[in-house]
Amino acid sequence: MSLELYRRSSLGMALTDALDELVISGVLSPTIAMKVLSEFDKSVCRSLRASKVKASVKGQLHTYRFCGNVWTFIVENAIVNIADVDVQSKEVRVQLLKVVACDSKLGDVSGSV
Amino acid sequence: MSDAEDEDLTAIVEAGEDAVDRSVHPSGIVPVLQNIVATVNLDCKLDLKTIAFHARNVEYNPKRFAAAIMRIRNPKTTALIFSSGKMVCTGAKTEALAREAARKYAKVIIKLGFPAQFKDFKIQNMVGSCDVQFPIRLEGLAWQHGHFAQYEPELFPGLIYRMQMPKIVLLIFVSGKIVLTGGKRREDIYQAFENIYPVLTEFKKLAQPDEAAAAPKALPAAKGKK
Repeated sequence: MSLELYRRSSLGMALTDALDELVISGVLSPTIAMKVLSEFDKSVCRSLRASKVKASVKGQLHTYRFCGNVWTFIVENAIVNIADVDVQSKEVRVQLLKVVACDSKLGDVSGSV
Repeated sequence: MSDAEDEDLTAIVEAGEDAVDRSVHPSGIVPVLQNIVATVNLDCKLDLKTIAFHARNVEYNPKRFAAAIMRIRNPKTTALIFSSGKMVCTGAKTEALAREAARKYAKVIIKLGFPAQFKDFKIQNMVGSCDVQFPIRLEGLAWQHGHFAQYEPELFPGLIYRMQMPKIVLLIFVSGKIVLTGGKRREDIYQAFENIYPVLTEFKKLAQPDEAAAAPKALPAAKGKK
């Protein structure tokens, strides 16, 4: 089973909204919609694993938590550096960043929101 | 710890290094406390998962370790919280700070809805360190104090000195840096250092900055006699 972590990403939210609409209008059955979502979970992990882009986070750690195999970090004044192999690296600065991460071996996925 | 002791401590801190109380520290060197380990019984069963989920800066991985690990920034300490309600607080630099930190952890746990108390606070260990500022001949010391000293440079570069009275373990390094551990009271740490200091001066390594001027003169003279 893949983690359902990425359903809260903008991509996942958009997909969920679209599926909801289709289910409400009766085009799709809820079972099929669920199946699409679980397929989405799998493909996100697959493509993230294949990705060569590396991201690093720098900043002051305000809070951390490790509970139920999930790490939660709240980073203040975070600088997120996204380094693609061929593309120029990109820097994003945010005042408050929340990172939720799971063990990639556990649910076949690692990630952050 | 009593108030009288508290005042005594602040007095030393305020006076600084210039005014060391020679009646307590004949060597003129005061070991600095680096770490204090204390335990306290909160006297109620705790659900560590709830604590880990609701409190900040907590790690709880029951597969690796049975306790929840919580940290606070002021005083900068770490607590191990067990489901039995017992807690270990480490990292504080003074007795008062250890107690203050333990109280803060207890407060966090109370805020999460547990009927925590604050029973049997006890300091279990103290670590102090200092620098005598001269190098030491560890082999010589180990030879003469074979009963207490253990020096195996291939295993560990420091000499391990197990003092019996007070019961303190000292790590003595060639550099003259000393670590004192195993004490339950700061007086014991101080006493242990005052006990060892004359021994250290006895095994001071020669031909070093202070002796540099005297030693070379002495050596050629000795050679000349031969």
